[in-house]
Amino acid sequence: MVSLNLCSDQLLVLLAPEQVRALDFLARDPELSFVAAQAAHLPVVRADAEAVLNLHPDLVIAGRYGAQTTVSLLRARGLHVVQLDEPQDFDGIEKLVAQVADLLGVPQRGSALVAKMQARLAALSPSNGAPHPRGRAVFYEAGGWTAGPGSLADAALHAAGWQNAGTGGRMGLEKLLAEKPDLLVSDTAPSKPSMAQNLAWHPALHGLARKTVPPALLICGGPFSVAAAEILSH
Amino acid sequence: MIELRRFSASLGGEKVLHDVSFAAGPGAFVAVCGPNGAGKTTFLRALAGLLPGAARPNPRHVAYLEQGARCAWGLRIAEVAALGRIPHGDTNSEAIAQALAQCGVAHLADRRIDEVSGGQARRAMLARAFATSPRVLLLDEPVADLDPAASHEILGVLRDFAHGGGLVVAVLHAVELCAEYASRMVVFEAGRIVADDAPLAALPVAARCFGMEWVGGRLVRK
Amino acid sequence: MKFLLPALGALIILSLLVGAAGLGVPDWLILWQIRTPRTALAVLVGAGLGLSGAVLQGALRNPLADPGLLGIGGCAALGAIIVFYWGISIQMPAALPAGAMLGAAGGCAVLLALSARALSGPSLILAGVALSALASAFIALALSLAPNPFALAEITFWLMGGLEDRTLLQLAVAAPPIAAGCILLLSLGRRLDALSLGEATAATLGFPVARTLVLASLGVTLAVGAGAAVAGGIGFVGLVVPHLLRPFTGQRPGAVLLPSLAGGAALLLAADLLARAAPLLLPLAGEPRLGVLTALLGAPFLVRIARRAIP
Repeated sequence: MVSLNLCSDQLLVLLAPEQVRALDFLARDPELSFVAAQAAHLPVVRADAEAVLNLHPDLVIAGRYGAQTTVSLLRARGLHVVQLDEPQDFDGIEKLVAQVADLLGVPQRGSALVAKMQARLAALSPSNGAPHPRGRAVFYEAGGWTAGPGSLADAALHAAGWQNAGTGGRMGLEKLLAEKPDLLVSDTAPSKPSMAQNLAWHPALHGLARKTVPPALLICGGPFSVAAAEILSH
Repeated sequence: MIELRRFSASLGGEKVLHDVSFAAGPGAFVAVCGPNGAGKTTFLRALAGLLPGAARPNPRHVAYLEQGARCAWGLRIAEVAALGRIPHGDTNSEAIAQALAQCGVAHLADRRIDEVSGGQARRAMLARAFATSPRVLLLDEPVADLDPAASHEILGVLRDFAHGGGLVVAVLHAVELCAEYASRMVVFEAGRIVADDAPLAALPVAARCFGMEWVGGRLVRK
Repeated sequence: MKFLLPALGALIILSLLVGAAGLGVPDWLILWQIRTPRTALAVLVGAGLGLSGAVLQGALRNPLADPGLLGIGGCAALGAIIVFYWGISIQMPAALPAGAMLGAAGGCAVLLALSARALSGPSLILAGVALSALASAFIALALSLAPNPFALAEITFWLMGGLEDRTLLQLAVAAPPIAAGCILLLSLGRRLDALSLGEATAATLGFPVARTLVLASLGVTLAVGAGAAVAGGIGFVGLVVPHLLRPFTGQRPGAVLLPSLAGGAALLLAADLLARAAPLLLPLAGEPRLGVLTALLGAPFLVRIARRAIP
């Protein structure tokens, strides 16, 4: 198996690390990838048709977007390439895990992961006594973009009992402050300088209640994404 | 008092002035003549302190007008003349007005220098030199753009300046004018001074430099 | 001519009252933490750009001179980008304008070396084009090598210029060099006047041109460099403002300096207000980038000036 995309990388490593022929480079970046530690010991490859062909994989997994030309070249050479969609909620994650587990021939591992995720989600629900909804939250992403309804971050907020006040579009600082959210959620501060991610740390926002979520949990939808909801519910 | 002692200069590897010595004091109108490329402009630049190794004169006492000087912006003529006060750091309107009058451009004071004729612009630039109230005027072709009447007018002003105690050192191409107005004539040829004398004495030498003769008060072809 | 100052004052007040949170006096937090730095920086950066343009035009005797056109802005951006993405400014915020100023200084040096004798002709502009191209190439290289893999994507907006969401810290760090640069540039009035008469005459009046160019470069480095560090790539202000003001101030280079400082501040503040107003007037639009707005004004201007200059 060769995976050409960060999201498929992580599922591959979680479900069947022994089948990995190569992963994408980003899998090793701890800020982006939940499985960075394991990926450090696994081979990586650039999304380059020649390099991939050289590895003679049985199956190539890629995302729906990105590396389009590479994918079409590989298909033209007769390789089996499966393109995965990105799940936007926990149901979608379940379906995806099941799909990939089947593809890899390890359906039981897939159901085990799903079951664990469902258990953790259930632990967050109103029955354990926490007030629902807790209030209005805004997930403030890089560049001032907010997570809107129908996104994974939105699903995490709802699972943790928050109402999402974000619209999915760009929200300037003034608008954000005018919204007076009960909670401001942002990515954990990056280790590498980034102008877009600096915005969430503007001094004007210091007065707001804040939680941070490691971006690796939500960039790709996977069983680990429930950890984001857990962080948000404490 | 202005002088050069055994001064040499090179431009682009070529020697343009060879060991030139020159000295002049107040009350003289020195005309500098010679063929093209003889080193007249370089000589004047040396006197103005613009070449490496040349002494820099006091900007309050020495005013320099370069050949073909043009103003980069459309300043009003009164503003152009006012620039001559920069070394003094003041805006002595009397000196400026007098300079404008001397050069015959007082009536153009509010016109832009890029909107008057070439001759008038040249006179405006000259007015700037006068406005400094200098003791020494170093002028490179001050009457080049002027018609004969205007040329005579300006040269007359320069002669009066010299009579009043000032020193004029001017590069002049019109050799006949040198005879009429200058009190002293310096002739350059190939980077050397070949004559430095009263005009009547120096003129024949100048004529020979041009490959001509000075006969009956005129330059004549051989 | 000093209707400029009241206009500037009105724009400043307007700027403090207009923003995404609505029109009118906002929350103290928004007013102090968001609108004040934005307004103050628009004034400072605009002043630096306008004045730099006026000084460059006077020092180079070239009406097309402008720190952006001549590539100095691009070099400043390069310095800022390197300092930012390699984390140097995280520990020392003052390193950001310092890096930008270093870039600007390097740009000035290269520009003067390239155009040496022919400062007042079109070859200066050519040298500027070459320097701009060089700076852009190095910026692209730096971004592709940056530790942050998304640097190239996120920098596009910054390079187009903007003052949104700037902090008081950024203001505190950029203000001193810009102010110092402006003071230095303002002091060059007499020199530039003398230079109108040509290099030789200026030298005999006591102002050798080499020194004038060094002082002008230093002032521009401080004012434009620090400005670029905080506002990104904004061009054309230095080109347009002196040209707009000369009919009122006269053509003497020294006379247009202070008005260009005020005019540059007013122009940039007005552009920034327009940028803020756009989403309020057209709800689906985002905020246009400042550099885009100044380019929309400046590029046709440049065409007009160039047509007159080309025989």
